[in-house]
Amino acid sequence: MTWRGNKATAGIILAVALIIAYAAAQSFLVMAQDDVIVKGPGVSEIRMLGEYFSGLKNTAGDTEIYILRGPKPGGRALVLGGTHPNEPSGYMSAILLIENARPQVGELWVIPQSNLTGFTHNDAQEASPQGFTIPTSWGERYFRYGSRATNPINQWPDPDIYIHASSGQRLSGSEVRNLNRAFPGRADGNLTEKIALGITELICQENIDLTIDLHEASPEYPVINAIVAHERAMPMAASVAMNLQLDGINIGLEPSPANLRGLTHRELGDHTDTLAILMETANPSQGRLRGRTDEALALTGKDDGYVKAAQLGRLFVPYDEGGHPLEERVGRHLTSINEFFIVYAEMYPESPVTVEGIPLLWDIEKNGLGAYLLQPK
Amino acid sequence: MLNAILHSATSPREVIALGTELLALVVIIVIFVVGSFAVKLPIGLAMVAAAMGGTLVSGLGIPLRHLVEGGFGYIDTILVIATAMIFMKVIQQSGTLDFISREIIIRYYKKPALLLMLLMLLAMFPGMITGSSTAAVLSTGAIVAMVLINLGIPKVETAAIIAMGGLLGMIAPPVNVPVMIIGGGVDMPYVGFTLPLLVMTLPAAFFTVLFLGLKHCRDLDVEAIMGRLPEVPEVSGFLLLSPLLVVGILMVATQALPGIVPALGMPLIFILGIITAIFTSKRVRPFEACASAIKDALPVMGILVGIGMIIQVMTLTGVRGLIVIGALSLPSVLLYLGIATSIPLFGTISAYGSASVLGVPFLLALLGGNEIIVGSALSLIASIGDLMPPTALAGIFAAQVVGIDNYFIVLRKCIIPALVVILIGIFFVIYSKHFGFLIL
Repeated sequence: MTWRGNKATAGIILAVALIIAYAAAQSFLVMAQDDVIVKGPGVSEIRMLGEYFSGLKNTAGDTEIYILRGPKPGGRALVLGGTHPNEPSGYMSAILLIENARPQVGELWVIPQSNLTGFTHNDAQEASPQGFTIPTSWGERYFRYGSRATNPINQWPDPDIYIHASSGQRLSGSEVRNLNRAFPGRADGNLTEKIALGITELICQENIDLTIDLHEASPEYPVINAIVAHERAMPMAASVAMNLQLDGINIGLEPSPANLRGLTHRELGDHTDTLAILMETANPSQGRLRGRTDEALALTGKDDGYVKAAQLGRLFVPYDEGGHPLEERVGRHLTSINEFFIVYAEMYPESPVTVEGIPLLWDIEKNGLGAYLLQPK
Repeated sequence: MLNAILHSATSPREVIALGTELLALVVIIVIFVVGSFAVKLPIGLAMVAAAMGGTLVSGLGIPLRHLVEGGFGYIDTILVIATAMIFMKVIQQSGTLDFISREIIIRYYKKPALLLMLLMLLAMFPGMITGSSTAAVLSTGAIVAMVLINLGIPKVETAAIIAMGGLLGMIAPPVNVPVMIIGGGVDMPYVGFTLPLLVMTLPAAFFTVLFLGLKHCRDLDVEAIMGRLPEVPEVSGFLLLSPLLVVGILMVATQALPGIVPALGMPLIFILGIITAIFTSKRVRPFEACASAIKDALPVMGILVGIGMIIQVMTLTGVRGLIVIGALSLPSVLLYLGIATSIPLFGTISAYGSASVLGVPFLLALLGGNEIIVGSALSLIASIGDLMPPTALAGIFAAQVVGIDNYFIVLRKCIIPALVVILIGIFFVIYSKHFGFLIL
């Protein structure tokens, strides 16, 4: 049997293609709707990143900064969530800080969606869910599950090779949209580099003492359930890791590699005075060994493929049928952040940051994430 | 591998999950085979049907968003193919290919082995600069093909040579995208790869061209060859070469001077080459060239859209993870065999996809060796994916360049060079620790 086309069949196919395009567009446009983030009791002010680098104003890269000021002066800490919008424990931890934390001394600055444009699409061929729902006592909160990279609608095309501007490091072309390969950023660069510059400028202009960038990685990735610290932050990170181990939280400590450029823990540490830290939890919904990819996987972290991979000794974290639920991953991040504030205050008593109200691992595992999400007005 | 997958399930829940994923995999394969061979659908459409079958049997209905999202995964590659194909048609019309072919034969016919090796380097060059085998095959690959055919090398061998040249060029330094993808998965910067990649690719390239071509180039009768060459238009060589010069200079400049020359992207570079040809040759018929190029490239572009949908569906349904776990479940003795077979076979989808999906887990499984050497070798093995039908980007375009409709006869000629490439790759994977001195 052979298939022959004519003008009528071409017209029909074109019409069908247009209908499919329209229907598909409706589902893609869902991703353009902003997530609701509720101002918690500690939030004093909301600014935009464009205030620190004017090249970001009125662009898709401009994003909110939540400032939580304590009654007593002290140091300033910055938490970055959503550097990679397909790593939900990072931005959910940032959102929980905004909605729950109450600084007592110093200031806590939080950017929950550092690469905001990355929240507006998904990576082709990764089949990621578009979002997930967290149940609460008063209803549900919905959050987007985005892409690792800037939306190509806002920055396209990718070069064949991405050459990191200040180091000359070469990476595959798609990494040009990866915010965590773009630091310290460039004023005349692409949108991703401008976002990176905005964050770098914020840190410089506001004299941020401590910066913590929250991430997730696939369980087969060697740097997992770990703290990565710039050399100036290493003594503090070592104390934090030890304290967490004593609390029963198994966490690794890695030095920021000097030859891996463009990442927060390297470039913010080198180009600003901040103590730069990056933290990773285990997220199977972004790994290559995962089974069916859906909202449940992002939330529960349960995956039979990873159970098998653990049995084969292919993973860098313990993995069983219990998976690594979002509650655990967010709890690890928040408990670690809390520990950083404690150790920082001990090591730098002249500029402490003391924060109350941070939900810790055992609180979240007991009460669920929903218990710490506020009801939007 | 299937055996490994089935024996790896240890709980009833795992068996059920594996059953669904396995069923989806089987349905995808069956619908694709029946659709393309029995119903004789265009391969791209057979893939769309297979992708929909996979989601239906997994209880996901027909997820329009996923099908469209996956289909757009190769939009950049499709643009490169479309513009490169038009460029090739244009330089055919202008007489550029005939001119270069004539010049190369006149200058080097007395040393056929040297001539063949230089031609292989020429065929590899755009791949080395851009990291794209398609760009190589459709630019200098077309020039080299013209020379080889005029030297008396049969079309099938010629297609095999430029296909291998394209994919080895894609792996050779300075730009190797598959190894960058693998490195990106483990945070390994693209540093120190130059010499290992040269040591792996050049012997394979020279072997390929000499193995397939040298026996046809002994005792060349240059007068007879020149008589067979088509007439070259009576314009200056510079004008004839200008489209190629524009493309070549821009390819090199955007890589060598990143701060000065902006990243134009391959499609724009080819378009600038096309515009140059239009202004420098009266023989160029741009509309005819565009129509002919798109007609020739459409099946492959359709396949890329279909492949994108299948990858998305394989990821969505868990089939992708099933394949990766299956490969990693192989006993250590068979791990190298798994690498040698699964990476090229997954290349039926794409060499880049294979590098990402299997290259990264295999590199992690081989930690303890020299990661730069292992990554280079895995990328070399992944390049063979560009020969694997149905996508076979390097192979199908090489066949089109020489005017062969049946790609499979070209694939047959590529078997021995491809095996040599895989063996070189496996050798370096096994003995990676001994080759650390190559990293400068």
